Amino acid sequence: MLLLKNIAKDFSDGREKRRVLFPTSLECRAGELTVLSGPSGSGKTTLLSIIGLVLTPSEGQMFIDDLEVTALSDVEAATIRLKRYGFVFQQAMLVEGLTILDNVMLSFAIQGEKPPADSFEKASALLKTLGLEGTAQMQPRLLSGGMKQRASIARALIKDPPILLCDEPTSALDAESGQVVMETLKRIAIEENRVVIVVSHDARVFPFADRLIQLESGIITSDTRESNQEEKEIIHASH
Amino acid sequence: MRSYVALRMVLHDRSSTTGALLGVIAIVFLVGQQLSILFGLLNYMSVLVDHSGADAWITSENVRNSDASGLISGRYADRVMGLDDVEWAEPMLISNGLFRTKDGSYESVRVVGTKRPRLAGGAWEFFAADQDAMLDRESVTVDRLDLEKLGNPRVGDITEIGGQQVRIGAITNGARGFQGTLVFASLDKVSDIARTPPGRYSAILVRFKESADKQAALERLRAILPERSVHSAAGLSNLTRTYYFTTTGIGGSFGFSTVIAVLIGVVIISLTMYTSVLGRVKDFAVMRAIGARKLDIALVVISEAMIIAGIGVFIGFVLLSVLLNATNGSSIPSFLPSEVPALLAIGTILISLMGSLIALRVAVKAEPASVFH
Ligand SMILES: Nc1ncnc2c1ncn2[C@@H]1O[C@H](COP(=O)(O)OP(=O)(O)O)[C@@H](O)[C@H]1O
Ligand SMILES: [Mg+2]
Repeated sequence: MLLLKNIAKDFSDGREKRRVLFPTSLECRAGELTVLSGPSGSGKTTLLSIIGLVLTPSEGQMFIDDLEVTALSDVEAATIRLKRYGFVFQQAMLVEGLTILDNVMLSFAIQGEKPPADSFEKASALLKTLGLEGTAQMQPRLLSGGMKQRASIARALIKDPPILLCDEPTSALDAESGQVVMETLKRIAIEENRVVIVVSHDARVFPFADRLIQLESGIITSDTRESNQEEKEIIHASH
Repeated sequence: MRSYVALRMVLHDRSSTTGALLGVIAIVFLVGQQLSILFGLLNYMSVLVDHSGADAWITSENVRNSDASGLISGRYADRVMGLDDVEWAEPMLISNGLFRTKDGSYESVRVVGTKRPRLAGGAWEFFAADQDAMLDRESVTVDRLDLEKLGNPRVGDITEIGGQQVRIGAITNGARGFQGTLVFASLDKVSDIARTPPGRYSAILVRFKESADKQAALERLRAILPERSVHSAAGLSNLTRTYYFTTTGIGGSFGFSTVIAVLIGVVIISLTMYTSVLGRVKDFAVMRAIGARKLDIALVVISEAMIIAGIGVFIGFVLLSVLLNATNGSSIPSFLPSEVPALLAIGTILISLMGSLIALRVAVKAEPASVFH
């Protein structure tokens, strides 16, 4: 479970301080695909970056389960990202020069630890599930955009992260590939019981959402979760 | 995995890898070649002492190099001969002379007179004829490398040095001094050429018995001959090298070109590593986002530098050994003491790491937040 309490973010360009995210409270549960949408500049990326521990909020608190992750050191944040998060970006961002399999294994071994013994079989199985059989030893540039994006999902999932964050995962893909990616993400959320948050302003992803949150000018303007009141109580009660 | 990632990146980014390799190779090759010439010249400086086979040299007092000793009496040899420690003691006479070539021109040569039959301090390696040919009073040697300069004399040819008739008795192989052409001759012949008073010599060479404590023997010689300088061979060799090294500006000039070679290499390595890392900033940002610490990124870049340095050092040494083999036995001085390659390799790897520092700074600053749009 991911919990945000009154998280806000100010950016100062030059002398002026500008609030791009107003105090936001949010609770995301496992087994649910949350879509975060809104017009360009509404603060989606800012919110996702804070959730993803690559940006520190100006105000508020954040928790993963019962662990407070609001103000971590660079190394602590990196280690939590490594252990608990999977990321899927707008572009697949695979490392050229490494094979698809190496790219997937990268998220295991980037801090220098040995990948678990079964990780090669796991990676192969994962690639197979994602329709990437036979690509393990290929260079990323030989794959189509959709295949690369699925490879990047494999890279995110190989560690079994409880939280999966996706930033516009379909916007660089054609309709069909986008569909496949979203189906995959949806299945991951529900079957594998993970917190999945997808930032997108692509209306085609909305049907996949268990929960759709609209952001405008740094404020949540709508949230399809019916139990909004209940959520507030959870947030209050738990801390 | 970090070094594996580095290796894959090095193999993939071929143009920058090639560029950085060139920088490393330039350092190894240019510095190695400079050092080999420098050590080759250093060898020339002390060539007579190093090949003399003597343990001690008795010279006039306060000599600064083995080529400039005042004349001393040959009786020192007799005095020393009687000592228990001493195997032999032989005089040597060094002077300059003008060698008359076939076409009637003259070349300045350094004549070294040694006493028959031992010929201590004489030629040590022959290209044509041998030691025996030098037992003749009229015989002189010329060196293979100087043949052309001296008008291609052949064994048996008669010519003149310093107005004295001599016969080419043998051709030496690689007998060359810092001051140029070395000609070995008999003691009497050199005395005639140099017109030195009889019984006066440049140095007395002393060899101690196998059983003697050489340091103690040296001290005893010094005690017996307080009015003369008694050098160990190694001591005189160092003294001579230091003298030429500091007085001729060789040290400065070689130092300068070595520094330039290193600088050029560092600039090439820095620029190419920097460009290579710039092209990989996005990859480093992704790695950061998925959990790499700054340390991990730094290790990737350092590994890249180490891999390139390792390969570059290897190629550099291959090229260097090709060059050294080609110049070996030519008139180009070249010599690398056995410890130099290891030091050069370590030095180059350290320099390559320094060269990767700018790239390292860029890489660890890759912002994980930049991967979101
Ligand atoms: N690093 C930054 N420095 C200053 N302003 C920023 C920075 N990142 C984002 N912003 C501003 O914050 C606002 C929200 O941006 P963002 O979160 O990227 O919106 P979205 O992802 O919804 O398009 C925008 O007005 C943007 O200009
Ligand atoms: Mg955005």
